[in-house]
Amino acid sequence: MSTADTPINDRFAAEAVAYRPRHAGVVSAILATGTKTSGATAGAAPTGAMPAEPAMPTPAASGTGRPRRRNHHAEGLEAGKRTTRILLWIVLAAAMVLYGFPFLYLLFTSFKTPIDTIAVPPTILPKEWTLENYANALGRNGVLASFINSAQTAVISTLLSLVLAVPAAYGITRYKTPSGRVFIMAALVTRMVPPVAIGIPLASMMATAGLADTPIALSIAHTTISLPLSIWLMSSFFEAVPNDLEEAATVDGCSRLGALWRVVIPVVSGGIAVTAIFAFLASWNEFLFALLMTAIRSQTTPVVIANFQTQFGLDWGSMTALAAVYSIPVILLTLLLQRKIVAGMTLGAVKG
Amino acid sequence: MSSRTTISRITAIGGLSTAVLLAATACGAGGPAATSGSAASTVNVLVEAGGHAELTGVAEQCKKDTGVSANFVELPYDGMFNRLSSEFSSGNVSFDVAALDSVWLPSFKDAVQPIDELFTDEAKKDIFPALVKEANVDGHFIGMPAWTNAEIILYRKDLFDDAKNKAEFKAKYGYDLAAPTTWKQYQDISEFFTKDGMYGTDVKGGVETEWLAHVLQAGSPMVLDENNNVVIDNAAHKDALDFYTSLVKSAPPGAAQVDWAAAQNLFNQGKTAMTRFWAHAYRQIPKDSPVAGKVGAAPMIGGSAGVAGVPGPWYLSVPKATKNSDAAKKFIKCAYDHNDLGIESSLGLASRISAFEKYQDKPGYESFKPLIETLKGQATATRPATAKWQQIVDTALVPMLQKAVAGGDSATLLAAAKKQIQDLLK
Repeated sequence: MSTADTPINDRFAAEAVAYRPRHAGVVSAILATGTKTSGATAGAAPTGAMPAEPAMPTPAASGTGRPRRRNHHAEGLEAGKRTTRILLWIVLAAAMVLYGFPFLYLLFTSFKTPIDTIAVPPTILPKEWTLENYANALGRNGVLASFINSAQTAVISTLLSLVLAVPAAYGITRYKTPSGRVFIMAALVTRMVPPVAIGIPLASMMATAGLADTPIALSIAHTTISLPLSIWLMSSFFEAVPNDLEEAATVDGCSRLGALWRVVIPVVSGGIAVTAIFAFLASWNEFLFALLMTAIRSQTTPVVIANFQTQFGLDWGSMTALAAVYSIPVILLTLLLQRKIVAGMTLGAVKG
Repeated sequence: MSSRTTISRITAIGGLSTAVLLAATACGAGGPAATSGSAASTVNVLVEAGGHAELTGVAEQCKKDTGVSANFVELPYDGMFNRLSSEFSSGNVSFDVAALDSVWLPSFKDAVQPIDELFTDEAKKDIFPALVKEANVDGHFIGMPAWTNAEIILYRKDLFDDAKNKAEFKAKYGYDLAAPTTWKQYQDISEFFTKDGMYGTDVKGGVETEWLAHVLQAGSPMVLDENNNVVIDNAAHKDALDFYTSLVKSAPPGAAQVDWAAAQNLFNQGKTAMTRFWAHAYRQIPKDSPVAGKVGAAPMIGGSAGVAGVPGPWYLSVPKATKNSDAAKKFIKCAYDHNDLGIESSLGLASRISAFEKYQDKPGYESFKPLIETLKGQATATRPATAKWQQIVDTALVPMLQKAVAGGDSATLLAAAKKQIQDLLK
């Protein structure tokens, strides 16, 4: 069989094997698809003994070695997959180091002795491991109270965000009115203003309302941060739910609210979990509003952590120890809701 | 169906939690409400986190003496100015006493009450003169110094006492190796110890106070004269800047970025033989530091105008908006009467001369004599009383110093800074 007579896929395959381009895996995948379509021809090809693997098979050799070619295709595909997988792992490991290193450094620092924390040049691992920083940090006055305040504030803020964002997002996506579109854009305005610009007026307003130094005041302030994001997130999740589902529920006798409650909300529960965790995190880690609006009874942990840096020095050990302890609840919460979060994240992807 | 059940449960739990939280939210976990004047015998004291310990002993004593108890609101330094501005501007304050950094006094002079009655003649004699002057704004005393600090010289006593070093130094410079008292000696000693991976001193490009102390030592007021004219380009400022930058060759690299924390770390790690640093650092050297027990303290060096430092006091003030003025003033009086109790704290500072003198001969307080001498220095002066001081520091002085330690021409930089400051003050 001359080269000219060879089916186009086979010729393409031969060239690809000969050149072994960098994207061998991709090419192999294309070839695999191609050979499937030329199955009849492949079946008619001779099945003689395979020659000792030539490094650069000639067109003639490729024309007569169909099974060997198929083996090559399979090997190429496997090698390609392996290479891709290795590359992915390297990228993943690099990303993990990039994102995880600061936290790991914080964690290691929390176990260092005072002189070790300020070593020049800095060391990653402690020379001597100690729990003294944890004892100092947790033994400090007001730390336990600040944890309770943080939890209280974050939970109230999350609930407020969800209670307001879910109906708002549902209304905007289902009714698609011009005012809805204006509203959803306007909701972002609070995100465009620097927090310090609204922090001071908010603090004054709360004081005037008699809510100074209360978790509810701080929760309301935190809701101004999380609400726009929650509305946008929930809108995208509601968009992914087909109208047919609600119509079917209406046919079965549900009211509009009934359909929302019984059908739509369960479908977007993953999205609600994602929104809740974002709102919770926004409040849990917020610093500026907490600094401006809290004092004795509602001070949250981020402010207490910052108090380890004074104008007379920085207690790195205690600061990192408290920060490490403070991050445990959110890590646990994220792990607990991991499945819901993944489900929520992919909810928008199936919109069609 | 299971989703529905889960959601119903979550909703029920969420609703219940909200109700409980909203009910509980009226009283956060931290304690009683931080409302000014909530109880006549209780005062809320707003204090920077580092200063809290200074006042803890005072608060206990004050409760015993007068029945006035104190709740402390601790805030980080960087956020405290914002908080004070916010509350003073709203006219609704959550505290009865505020510990104010000296540089904030001009900014908040209209928001705090005069406390002239606490500045008796006896009190004025027992407070460092520079502080008495600074506390008086527009003819009224508006803050009582609670504690003060100043830069002194901390040096490696073990290296200075080493016989080989002494002999080599004398052979090279022609005089005995001892804690420096002049600019020239500081330059020589810094140069001498810059060897074998060690540096003679640090140069802090990230902070301005040290250079300003040298300006005072050279005989000029800092940046502004008594009529608020910008004098940053005079000969004293240039001499001080030239001296400051001359030390760069004897200091660790990256001087432009070195600030207090970095300089303290370098000294505590044994990387520098001397540092000009706030006196409190003497008592804060970690026990496991290679220099622990090997550090000596000396007064700040002097220039043509003699020894001078820039004091770093904090003042206790009573906001006009508090409804608890009497108890607040009682607390401040307690803080003055028992000022020495702060010395026992981790920060270990006071503001009264008699309090420092009480401890100066006790072991562990060797930094007090040099501190007293520096604070009493003829040329020692507080920073200019302008509400724009922090702006001047952040936008003109520190950037100018960073360029200078990186090799910029001092005269050109000072001239540029002058224009910048004049624009700021317009």
